[in-house]
Amino acid sequence: MKKVVLLVTLIVFAFTASFATVTAPTVASSNGMVAAVDKYAAEVGAKILEMGGNAVDAAIAVSFALGVVEPYASGLGGEGYAVITMADGSKFAIDFRSAAPMAASYEALSELGLTISKANYTPKGACVPGVLAGIKEAWLLGATLPLADLIQPAIDLARNGFIVDETFAQTTSDKYELVLENGFDFLNEGFVWEVGSTFTNPQLAETLERIKEEGIDTFYSGSLADEIEEFMIENGGFMRKSDLEMYRAIVREPLHGTYRGYDFYVPHPPVSGPQFIAVLNTLENYNLPAMSWDDPLAVHIIQQALVLGDVDRRAYISDPEFYDLPYEAFMSKEFAKTRFMAIDLSQAFDPASYYDYQGDAYPFADGSSYEEVLLGALESVAANESGVEESPSTTHFSIVDKDGNAVAWTQTISSFFGTSFYFKGFFFNNEMANFASSYREGDVINLTGGMRPRTTICPTIIQKDGKVRWVIGTPGGGRIISTMVQLSVDLIDFNMPVDQAIRTPKFVGYTTYKDLRIEEGYPQTTLDFLEKVLGHQLNVYSYPDLFFGGPNLVSVEENGLMIGAGSIRRGGSASAPEF
Amino acid sequence: MKRLLITALLIVSFALLGFAAEGTEEQLILEEPVAVTSAGQSPGALQFTVVAKMIELEYTFEKLLSVETVDISQFKTLVLVVGASGKGLGAANIDIEAEILRVKSLAEAAEESGVKVVICNLEGESRRGPSSDRIVTELAPFANAYFVKSDADLDGFFTAFSEEAGVPLATFEKTIDLKDVLAEYFGK
Repeated sequence: MKKVVLLVTLIVFAFTASFATVTAPTVASSNGMVAAVDKYAAEVGAKILEMGGNAVDAAIAVSFALGVVEPYASGLGGEGYAVITMADGSKFAIDFRSAAPMAASYEALSELGLTISKANYTPKGACVPGVLAGIKEAWLLGATLPLADLIQPAIDLARNGFIVDETFAQTTSDKYELVLENGFDFLNEGFVWEVGSTFTNPQLAETLERIKEEGIDTFYSGSLADEIEEFMIENGGFMRKSDLEMYRAIVREPLHGTYRGYDFYVPHPPVSGPQFIAVLNTLENYNLPAMSWDDPLAVHIIQQALVLGDVDRRAYISDPEFYDLPYEAFMSKEFAKTRFMAIDLSQAFDPASYYDYQGDAYPFADGSSYEEVLLGALESVAANESGVEESPSTTHFSIVDKDGNAVAWTQTISSFFGTSFYFKGFFFNNEMANFASSYREGDVINLTGGMRPRTTICPTIIQKDGKVRWVIGTPGGGRIISTMVQLSVDLIDFNMPVDQAIRTPKFVGYTTYKDLRIEEGYPQTTLDFLEKVLGHQLNVYSYPDLFFGGPNLVSVEENGLMIGAGSIRRGGSASAPEF
Repeated sequence: MKRLLITALLIVSFALLGFAAEGTEEQLILEEPVAVTSAGQSPGALQFTVVAKMIELEYTFEKLLSVETVDISQFKTLVLVVGASGKGLGAANIDIEAEILRVKSLAEAAEESGVKVVICNLEGESRRGPSSDRIVTELAPFANAYFVKSDADLDGFFTAFSEEAGVPLATFEKTIDLKDVLAEYFGK
């Protein structure tokens, strides 16, 4: 008993003591680094590092905290993916993507006169949340502190509140109508939260307290699971306690790719790791270091490679538990040579025929070279296009501790506010919309009970000679891989520091968009060249625009100095512990 | 001396007369039913309805209320909640020019029918930009009153319109305080 009292006293002391974390948009430190979309969440991570926790401890605490400070972007009702590299050389990829409830099907929707898109903002749009299962796996794999200590900062934030920033207020305002209808308790007495007001979430504090006391299993098989089932039955959702009981986060080794001598550790399908590597493999064939970030040819090459990567993604990425697709061939250097050959340096692809350019990765599955494959007969694969317009929701954070353990973690509830249905202080995801909108013969993302939908998120750890060099990731829906590729090229080919790589204007290569969406900031000559010489139809966005994502990055310099940079497009911060 | 006394008496009489006139000036009274619409497609109009429900105001709300779809003369008051939102206009598939045309037509029809027009800014400074200000400027000739979140009038933008037209301006600090303004003007 005395020990318990002592422990409790220590925990209380830990969170009431005056910590000296340093938090700012860009921070340098040798003590460890957390970069997240929100200063409160970044600070929570830095405090955990200060308490002696490692990067995994900090990541768990930041994950919980982000569910409090950005409840519209992630949280207990959501899901995600984490890539972890430990200083001892072990590496983990944790897939906590949500899964379709077993009762969900096109037939079930059709009987109710619904489609996936019509069900998007109803409880039927929710898939089984995975974030808590992911946290549990991360904790079992690499944490050093009690889980209760890692939840507590989020409970404190939810109970004591925090000051609403521009992003919070704007996001609430943008989805006000929906939230007013389905998530009234989230609002400020029915109104939009305004900048400078104090947001508290006593319901979420209570839910987190229950998880702290009863354990994570309460969400999947305990009393909280019973209450989720009750809510879903009452509101017409597909999810049942049996779905929650069946759900597991999946731990694998991360996929590995290389780019100009750097090692990239990325997620497996149904997440976009293979697509990210495939695009970089294509770009490796060009002498980008001889160009500059605003060279129109560099923009053209990268954008066209992104388009090809997206065309191929739709054929080769799905839930590997359900589809045996050649994603390893898709991310091979040999397949990339064929994509390199497909890009015309003098003319942009005709957007109307993007799918004519789909590559055939199957012949590369046995390790064949591009010469062998191209000398044989090529067969085309039918193109699949999902018309889902993805929002810039989701959130990513990057952490490195003083020992060199690193975590890249992206979590989401899909659209901002997910289904918009609010339950015990959090929103349920609307990941169902990432399945094909209706059944299509041969499609690899047809809705199937238990299957995890495809997504573009891509938390990544980049190493050089076995040591962490960068931890990167971003939200941004269909723009994620575009931003990830540009960050990689900016860091590696153009030698930019992380804050500059974040600030540099971005563009998109994505088959859903038939124009070239590009942020302001490129020289007029570059824009003119892209439009008039290369034939791109430009759509220029103001700078900075959240549409292009909100990356939060950490770099580790050769001397061990860590530099964290938060997103300028979403008010991100970096925070470092001070010992 | 007599002349001086008469002059002084006249001055006092005029002053008293003026005071009486001012004292008996009728305060604007608004009546139900009320038509509420957005002018710029920000969420402000929907927030107005939350307040309206609180004081049990009899209202009809349509984001895109127009003279083509409604006979405005069936209402006693028209509330135009101003706030230009690019996302809101995009979602409604309407551009700013068409939006201004829609709300101006409504305001004109209201004026012709004797329906009182209230211009409301519910979202404060965040809805003070070129497009929002342009909407207010276009609607100003029809306004019978302004209900404005106080941080939207820090530069006196609404005060100037109110004083120029001699119509009341009621300001409130927090969104929920609009309830008191509505209660006062609608006698709730």
